[in-house]
Amino acid sequence: MRSPNRTHAPRLLVAWAVLSVIGIVAVMQIQFPPGDQSRQAADQSSLLSLMAVLSTPVFVGVVLFLIYAALAFRRGKVLEDGPPSYGNIRVQVAWIAITAVVVFFLAGIGITQLASASSSTDFSGTQLGTSSPVGGAGQALQVQVIGQQWYFTYRYPDFGGVESLHLVLPVDANVEIHVTSTDILHSFWAYQLGVKADANPGVDNIAYVTTTHTGSFTVRCAELCGIWHGNMSDTSGKVVSQSDFATWVAQLQKDEKDTPVPPYAPAYFPSPRVKGS
Amino acid sequence: MGARLVVVLLATAALAALVAGFVIGFALRFPEPLAATPAQAGPGFSVQLETVAAVGTAIENPRPDDPHPTWVGYLPTTTLTVPANSLITITIHQEDTPSGLRNPYWATARGIEGGTFHMTYFDDKGNPQEGDFSAITDPANAAHTFAIPDLGVFVPLEGVNANAPPNSMNVISFSFRTGAPGVFHWQCFVPCGSGTIYGNGGPMQTLGYMGGFLVVQ
Repeated sequence: MRSPNRTHAPRLLVAWAVLSVIGIVAVMQIQFPPGDQSRQAADQSSLLSLMAVLSTPVFVGVVLFLIYAALAFRRGKVLEDGPPSYGNIRVQVAWIAITAVVVFFLAGIGITQLASASSSTDFSGTQLGTSSPVGGAGQALQVQVIGQQWYFTYRYPDFGGVESLHLVLPVDANVEIHVTSTDILHSFWAYQLGVKADANPGVDNIAYVTTTHTGSFTVRCAELCGIWHGNMSDTSGKVVSQSDFATWVAQLQKDEKDTPVPPYAPAYFPSPRVKGS
Repeated sequence: MGARLVVVLLATAALAALVAGFVIGFALRFPEPLAATPAQAGPGFSVQLETVAAVGTAIENPRPDDPHPTWVGYLPTTTLTVPANSLITITIHQEDTPSGLRNPYWATARGIEGGTFHMTYFDDKGNPQEGDFSAITDPANAAHTFAIPDLGVFVPLEGVNANAPPNSMNVISFSFRTGAPGVFHWQCFVPCGSGTIYGNGGPMQTLGYMGGFLVVQ
């Protein structure tokens, strides 16, 4: 026996509301990547969470209606045509309006966040250390990431251009990451920091990060760059306390005193273009 | 109808087997491994390698039948098997001339025992010299590097001076410690792929020439 038509809508609505609430609660338990080691990473996580929460009722609604329709309106023993449908102006207006509101809302939030990720001086709400911390408000720490086949090295122009095998950053600091390459296209991807930036020869590609937590992070190359691309990773990236950073950089300056490094340049060109020809 | 189906199935199976054989053959084409041998003096194990400008015409381990006899390469192989938790000494007979480092940072040795490598080389007058070094003096004089990035080992290899007698070689030796078993890649950081764009093609991109695996077991 089929239910009378008028009970379908309320039944579906109640089921949709209940399942959506359960779905939203479940989705909010998920720890979305990339985490909260930097302000930018935390922003990305919360944006992903918001998008998942907003899309849960849509997903539940579509799947629920599909399953419900397949069960409730399945063909009976007697083959009969359903009633003719002439469209419904209210449904049309509603779905276009709701979709538009959701899309424009998400677009607004996404654009705002993209813009704020690249403003290195926005440091509201964070307590900085008292003794002139590195990368405090208005004085971003500069770090150059140099991609080469097949390793990333890191130069600190603020500290005499010393170069390091691993990326070490102080906590609670605004960092301006200048990404370049000495040969071909690489891509610098510091996963937990929420930074992915192309490393192109001759280009100074700038990304911003505001560290908020101490801990380690992974650096990978995110652009297929040759035979050892898959090995172009480093799990020894670290965000350390301001005092640990000062100690580390002082040690690096001591160690690298006699190391030949080229004069600091914002970008490097591969040279010569063709060897031996 | 049945016969046609059988023929189609057999043909498909034969084709699939061919493709699978090609892929497996390609994937398993590794250079023969070279095992570390117990060092003659003192504890540890040693490996001896040769770096040459053209693998077809090396002094010690030439590979005239190589598909790319003019490519630079490490000889006799680039798959090195070494024991875990041991002191490994690598001796490299370096016969190639300088190519130069693009990033001079790699001119300094890192991650090796004592921080220095021992090198016999030839000075600008072509006279043999010898000493312990923590870096090569001019990054432009690097012929190759021997680097195991995941073990933090980076060693520059000085090119043979243009004034050295013919068939000369620099002999570079250094030691590092292995930890737990694993497979690590090693490579050269000098863009030494002569004739390829930016020098990073050819032998730099092919297993068996300017990079390989260090199998720690």
